[in-house]
Amino acid sequence: MFTTACQEQLLPGETLQQKWEVARAAGYGAIELRGRGDFAFRDRLPELRRALADGVVMPTVCVEMRHFFGAFDEDLRRDAVQQMKSQLSVIGELGGRGAMTPASYGMFSRRLPPFEPPRSEEEDREVLLAGLTELGEHARREGVALFLEPLNRYEDHMVNRLGQAVELIRETGLDSVRVGIDSYHMNIEEADPPAAILAAAPYIGHAQVSDSNRFQPGAGHLDWPAWLGALDAAGYEGELAVECRLTGDPAEAVGSVPAFLARAAA
Amino acid sequence: MNAAAPASASATSGTAHSTAPPDSLPPHRFPGSAERARIRRGAHRVLLGNWTGASTVPSRGLYPHQWSWDSAFIAIGLRHLSAVRAQRELETLLGGQWEDGRIPHIVFNPRVPPDAYFPGPDFWRSSSAGAAATGGTGAARGGPGAPRGVETSGIVQPPVHALAAWLVHLADPATSRRRGFLGRVRPRLAAWHRYLAERRDIGGGGLAAAVHPWEPGMDNSPCWDGPLARVEPAAADSFRRADLAHGAAADRPTDLDYGRYVALAAGYRDHGYRDADAPHPFAVEDPSFNSLLILSEHALAAITRELGGDPAPHRERAAALTDALVRRLWSPEAGQFLCRDLRDLRGGPRGGGPDQRPASPPSRASRTAPAGALVDARSAAGLLPLIVPGLPRHITAALLRTLAGEHFGLGTSVRLLPSYDLRGPAFDPSRYWRGPAWFNVNWLLERGLRRCGETERADTLRADVLGAAAASRFAEYLDPYTGAARGTRDFSWTAALALDLLKEPDSGHESVPEVQQAGFTSMSPAESTRESPQSSESKPEPESESEEGPDL
Repeated sequence: MFTTACQEQLLPGETLQQKWEVARAAGYGAIELRGRGDFAFRDRLPELRRALADGVVMPTVCVEMRHFFGAFDEDLRRDAVQQMKSQLSVIGELGGRGAMTPASYGMFSRRLPPFEPPRSEEEDREVLLAGLTELGEHARREGVALFLEPLNRYEDHMVNRLGQAVELIRETGLDSVRVGIDSYHMNIEEADPPAAILAAAPYIGHAQVSDSNRFQPGAGHLDWPAWLGALDAAGYEGELAVECRLTGDPAEAVGSVPAFLARAAA
Repeated sequence: MNAAAPASASATSGTAHSTAPPDSLPPHRFPGSAERARIRRGAHRVLLGNWTGASTVPSRGLYPHQWSWDSAFIAIGLRHLSAVRAQRELETLLGGQWEDGRIPHIVFNPRVPPDAYFPGPDFWRSSSAGAAATGGTGAARGGPGAPRGVETSGIVQPPVHALAAWLVHLADPATSRRRGFLGRVRPRLAAWHRYLAERRDIGGGGLAAAVHPWEPGMDNSPCWDGPLARVEPAAADSFRRADLAHGAAADRPTDLDYGRYVALAAGYRDHGYRDADAPHPFAVEDPSFNSLLILSEHALAAITRELGGDPAPHRERAAALTDALVRRLWSPEAGQFLCRDLRDLRGGPRGGGPDQRPASPPSRASRTAPAGALVDARSAAGLLPLIVPGLPRHITAALLRTLAGEHFGLGTSVRLLPSYDLRGPAFDPSRYWRGPAWFNVNWLLERGLRRCGETERADTLRADVLGAAAASRFAEYLDPYTGAARGTRDFSWTAALALDLLKEPDSGHESVPEVQQAGFTSMSPAESTRESPQSSESKPEPESESEEGPDL
């Protein structure tokens, strides 16, 4: 029912072509790229173009940086916006669907000392709306979408639940900004994950999967049939991108996911 | 549905067919893959939307609590979407079970305002009126032992639960075993069946009796008109209905009937819900209620066997119930089962039925006739014994003829089995259980037809049920002629049972334990004609069932 995508770092192989071969054999239908900072993702364009020509399917990129468009620091924030714009352009050039980013990651948690962030909620909101608007307009020009990913409360203090992301997206009024959902974070933050998916249905642009313990789907206790049933009922047609840690033999763990998800969604 | 007008029913008047009649409605095909995906998504949306965290409401507006037989039917479909939720559904319901074993027909959600539904927790007062007497257990002191931490109603609904538990287990045995699901629910299900056997055999003939029209689940069936007429209604200004705020009055029971429902429930409550003490002015043996009990006894046998126990007592109990069902409720004249009104002291058409006028001359059976009289009304409940394993073949054959005949017109006048006689004086295509087609009834019938080897008719019915469920936005019930949606929409069991029917063709591994086993089947029309003549003393003929027990 769903196409399963695997993040590139989870696959063995030196090149994207080699990784793709492994991925295909395991039942994956796509690879999710990882976008580093300092325009490293843009610098990979020759490699990515060759992979595309060789038939590697790469619809999405997930940012891999230490600062994000919601950063407290103005310079870091500006840089994160520039990096994301570049990643949106690159994924557009590859014919992909979009790029995924959280508001922040590892910057502040209201659940950990010192508990009170240095910026007010109103200021957070202004920063987020400005960043989403700038990135969303850029994404629209490139014919792709920016996926805003709610993270759990220990990793981000601003956008934790799908409803919060939807509210911000509605405020921007841009179709080119969508929610990127992640089963692991939802398990912590949503009272009823399948109901949250249905409530956010028209806004969901991307989905990442890992189990309750951040390991590969099937290694934890998430109710996958209900989660996937809700995503299907929501009309989602994108990939399920595996972003996780692996437990057990890594090759076996990666290889087990497509069949596991297909059975759970049957 | 695209059914013929009522007038066309007369075209087939008096004919009974064991195969599709020549003027049958054009068959619907089983939906194609795109349509199946659409129905599946829709059903998922309903079930996920009506989930409350531990159980499913039948619908968001009209029915904001947990209903007993709804939950069982919901679990049967929910198992395909989430085995864990389906298990939780039943576990949550069983959390409201009383010490005497009864599973209440409603478990109230404490987060919903008390006046959102009538009769609500303030009416039933289960935790006080139904409490075990202080200083002893419920059984010792006669109190039925309603739970203290949760409010429930005091009456019951049909025992579909063991069947549901077994089907839920089969959907994902690994998860079920890991969670210890069957081990936890089995003693509770056994206690439930024990309650029905020990406290509800009011007629003394081995069947469970209903003491309120809501107990058989078909709340305002014309079958209850006679038994209810003896009940003094509660004064109209003594209660306030909540159902009319959500449903059209024309689709719902009348105020006068509602007054009687209230009076019966209040009387039961005022006797502390003690069955031995309550006068039970309404006491009826319903064929559908008891057929579901039989099926659930078989399921309990399977559950017990799965857990390493001895299934034999449950099989014996199922056989005894089947025997009693035929002995007490079969009407050869009507060609269907009828309800028995245990409070009808006039005699009435003993062993007879609606078509028997006058009553047949005294027979050997009537000399030892059971108490009360068969009710002179045909409802779908009288055909649902088709789901019961081991019915005598001539009875199965007669039921199949009645199904297609003028009173129910399945495949000729209507696509789905109506809840009541199309030609009956009380027939109303819109009003609740007085004519409309219901999805749980048709799901059971589909199962019954399949059990009897009527594969083609079962396939047709399945396609029609799925088409009607989707077209009606998973309505609560339908006008049986036009297929127009009635009652509430996004109704949980409609979505759940559609999901179950949708799943069937693709669920080989799940349905393996359910397939027909040798010696337990089906009967061709030729075989049925060789059967012995119908008799009012019919006894079930044990049809050699394997040691493994019948399919479920």
